[in-house]
Amino acid sequence: MSSPKVQLRLNGIRKSFPGKQGPTQVLDGLTFDIHERDFVSIIGPSGCGKTTVFNIIAGLVDPDEGMLMYRGQEVDSLRGKVGYMMQKDLLFPWRTVLDNVLLGLETKGVDPRQAMDTAREYLSTFGLSGFENAYPKMLSGGMRQRVALIRTLVLDPDILLLDEPFSALDYQTRLYLEGILMEAVETFHKTVILVTHDIDEAVALSKRVVVLSQRPARVKAVHDIALNEHSPIAARSDPRFSSYFNTLCAELDIQTRASA
Amino acid sequence: MTEMAQLAKTSVRRHLRASKRRNVFDSTAGRSALQILAVVAFFLLWEVAVRMEWLNAFLVGQPSGVLHVLVSMVADGSLFVDTGYTVFEAILGFAFGTVIGSVIGLTLWYSAFVARLVEPFIAAINSVPKIALAPIIILWFGTGLTSKVALAISLTSIVALITAYQAAKDADKDLQALLFSMGASKHQIFKRVITPSTLPAIIATFRINIGFALVGAVVGEFISSQHGLGHVIYVASSLYDLNTVWAGLFTLMLVGFLFYQMVEVTEQRLLPWKQQMGGTQINV
Ligand SMILES: Nc1ncnc2c1ncn2[C@@H]1O[C@H](COP(=O)(O)OP(=O)(O)OP(=O)(O)O)[C@@H](O)[C@H]1O
Ligand SMILES: [Mg+2]
Repeated sequence: MSSPKVQLRLNGIRKSFPGKQGPTQVLDGLTFDIHERDFVSIIGPSGCGKTTVFNIIAGLVDPDEGMLMYRGQEVDSLRGKVGYMMQKDLLFPWRTVLDNVLLGLETKGVDPRQAMDTAREYLSTFGLSGFENAYPKMLSGGMRQRVALIRTLVLDPDILLLDEPFSALDYQTRLYLEGILMEAVETFHKTVILVTHDIDEAVALSKRVVVLSQRPARVKAVHDIALNEHSPIAARSDPRFSSYFNTLCAELDIQTRASA
Repeated sequence: MTEMAQLAKTSVRRHLRASKRRNVFDSTAGRSALQILAVVAFFLLWEVAVRMEWLNAFLVGQPSGVLHVLVSMVADGSLFVDTGYTVFEAILGFAFGTVIGSVIGLTLWYSAFVARLVEPFIAAINSVPKIALAPIIILWFGTGLTSKVALAISLTSIVALITAYQAAKDADKDLQALLFSMGASKHQIFKRVITPSTLPAIIATFRINIGFALVGAVVGEFISSQHGLGHVIYVASSLYDLNTVWAGLFTLMLVGFLFYQMVEVTEQRLLPWKQQMGGTQINV
């Protein structure tokens, strides 16, 4: 196997936020690579700075130090190139399902008629045709999350940043949406960075898992996950699944003990 | 545990059913009937009280007299002319005031620097009782229509401004962040997040500003005018003609009520996403 090409490199990223008792160091020299068509999960204790990493990549927060390299070039951020799905579904309540999906295309200035066609096509691919004119408030949690996912994908971003996209859903819906995500990633050849609290989910879906330490966060370990298949159900029944699971649990044990 | 829950549920249900049975008037028709009944009873009591000389007709007027005045005002058409003047002034004042205020309030979102700079001035202007400006406004804008509209604008615009500015400041930061990460410009964020999310608050000011616009128009007419319901009321009260005063007041009340209903309809039109869906959810 040839060594994979690096798509995005985070190099020595540091960030602190001002707090009541002086600044809190959140990221302490974070360095890791994302390969082309990678699927990387980031796991780490609650509040260690995972969302902050995404905010830096998306250009919502400026790092204090360190740099981002995108395909060999130093960049400020990947604003406009990423599809960022935040911890909340963040559907616009005053927009219908269709208009929510159109949001990014409108922002990009895509021709309205073409945008409309694309949006409808995606909605039907993901089984939401017939709901174009529904308002988010009428949808179930799973459907809202699906709309948010479509809104992210329809922009055809280079990298998907998914911040605990399924954490608020029940297990069944979660498995279903994981399946949809994996299918979409295969079909559209996307690079994905997934933040999750769920080790199970990280192992099942990812090619690699980055483990962060307690705040101030550093990269504690990076694990390659060599499962035959990365689909939500098949992966969970792979014989190697549980050994990966146990390794990652052990690595996060500080947190399990503290919260026990 | 489950038995307890079951018990609680049935008792809640029984309670609900009981309360439903008790309140036969709790329907649109039932409520309207009660409301009309209350109004009729009020006027009857008033009329009786005056006829029995429990109340002095000279000081409180008399419903039959008020009705008489209204009929003659309808007959000579003056009711429609005066109502027309007041309504026209109020609508102009309301529309201009709301637009001017909302636009300024929203635009302040663009520059936190300017906003912070002018905030104390806005607070100062807001704390002035605008009615006290009426004499000056009449001096500047004359005794015609313009001065009444200007007075109504001075009342309504500041409410719209403060509300729009506050709502723009409170607009969901995450929605803005999401759009920003997609590469949106500040102007796009303004158009797609700020404006739509302030709309409910701005529409909520319609209710208050309808009242303020009428206050502006009527007070302007009190001070100096040839037409309008304010004029009618002012002249009649200086002649101790209480029945005509009441006729003007009741007409004003009706106008305010109709305006209010129009706001409700507008709100439903402009904010379809806010409508209650009766708690139903679509599930796939
Ligand atoms: N804009 C900000 N201003 C101040 N402090 C912040 C800001 N954003 C994040 N923080 C702080 O940085 C720390 C890391 O936050 P972050 O949201 O990145 O954690 P996280 O790993 O995503 O947590 P979770 O697992 O709960 O989602 C927290 O202590 C948080 O309070
Ligand atoms: Mg987070």
